[in-house]
Amino acid sequence: MAITVMASSSATTTHFLRRCSQNPSRAIPKSIRAQIARDEKPLLIRRLTTLLKPSAAAAAVAAAIAATPMPALAEQIEKAALFDFNLTLPAIALEFLLLMVALDKIYFTPLGKFMYDRDAAIRAQLGDVKDTSGEVKQLEEQAAAVMKAARAEISAALNKMKKETTAELEQKLAEGKKKVEEELAEALAALENEREEALKALDSQIKLLSDEIVSKVLPSA
Amino acid sequence: MNVIPCSIQTLKGLYDISGVEVGQHLYWQIGGLQIHAQVLITSWVVIAILLGSVIIAVRNPQTIPTDGQNFFEYVLEFIQDLSKTQIGEGYGPWVPFIGTMFLFIFVSNWSGALLPWKIIKLPHGELAAPTNDINTTVALALPTSVAYFYAGLSKKGLGYFGKYIQPTPILLPINILEDFTKPLSLSFRLFGNILADELVVVVLVSLVPSVVPIPVMFLGLFTSGIQALIFATLAAAYIGESMEGHH
Repeated sequence: MAITVMASSSATTTHFLRRCSQNPSRAIPKSIRAQIARDEKPLLIRRLTTLLKPSAAAAAVAAAIAATPMPALAEQIEKAALFDFNLTLPAIALEFLLLMVALDKIYFTPLGKFMYDRDAAIRAQLGDVKDTSGEVKQLEEQAAAVMKAARAEISAALNKMKKETTAELEQKLAEGKKKVEEELAEALAALENEREEALKALDSQIKLLSDEIVSKVLPSA
Repeated sequence: MNVIPCSIQTLKGLYDISGVEVGQHLYWQIGGLQIHAQVLITSWVVIAILLGSVIIAVRNPQTIPTDGQNFFEYVLEFIQDLSKTQIGEGYGPWVPFIGTMFLFIFVSNWSGALLPWKIIKLPHGELAAPTNDINTTVALALPTSVAYFYAGLSKKGLGYFGKYIQPTPILLPINILEDFTKPLSLSFRLFGNILADELVVVVLVSLVPSVVPIPVMFLGLFTSGIQALIFATLAAAYIGESMEGHH
């Protein structure tokens, strides 16, 4: 903003300077210019004549004030109309009303409604959250009950399984024992048999041996 | 001999240098009536800025607002709050009026301070904030008067005029006078502030073209915002005043 303002002010300055340098004669009223043109006398004499005729000088000054750029300046000051009311007023009022309707249509009403709805939704959700705290407690209790039941069931199943396993094991043990005993008895029986047979064989051999010994000891008589 | 013409020329020169084109207007003729074109043009730009930014930001509102939407929600809440404080019960229908008043004046004032209007040269007069023309401020103040009359009459019927003899009939002339001073003070306050602000900045820039005007420019921005707020608040206060039951 500063730049533009400065630019504009410097523009007017240069404009003014240019005007001042271009036509300085414009500043001097026509009557005086005419007088200067007519008067070819040296400067000193001209000054003197002017001094000698005060009334003429006064007239010249008056003419200068009346004639020169004064009208232009006055015109401009006159045109500096701060308080001129005209069609701008109703035009802006109309624009304002139209803007109000437009903004109401695209901004105030829709966004206001949107924000109101969102607030309502948030409030409803917050209310829901508060209400569900009882429900959560109930659910927790339910969960605890379920856990308890599950634990009981598991321990029961565990006990049952233990019992079954023990029974089975005992049965197997008993079977094993029985088998071992049977085998032992068999083996003992077999051993007894063998011993008896060995003894029998020994008896017969003893008889043979004694016969031999007898035949050897006693000459064959 | 040349002294006096030259002094006049100097005077005019100073007048030109200051660059203050007070009350210079670019005139358009419409049906034999004159219109200040520069005011009209800048007001169009202001309206375009307002409508454009609103359309872009609020076209598709999100539950979780994005940046632009967030800003406009904040503005709307600000306006609703202002209306609620000043008008009280039943402020809802007045939000668009107060809001448009605030936004239009605010954007107008700031456009005068922030937009480089002066780049665009006009044949006569210059572009500036629309609110530095008395026509604009009166055009905003008169609807305010109409609005508070409408508010009072629609709320209380003809009983509204009972307020003129409240608290005593002696105050009748003053109460009637108030209806004229309200729009007058509204319009002249805004007009004077904005015009004076721009003049101060321009004159200061022409005198000291660097650094020094900057604080004044910031002050100008501040003043512009405050003036928009004051206009909207007072409009709401007048409406609220005529709607409330008299004691």
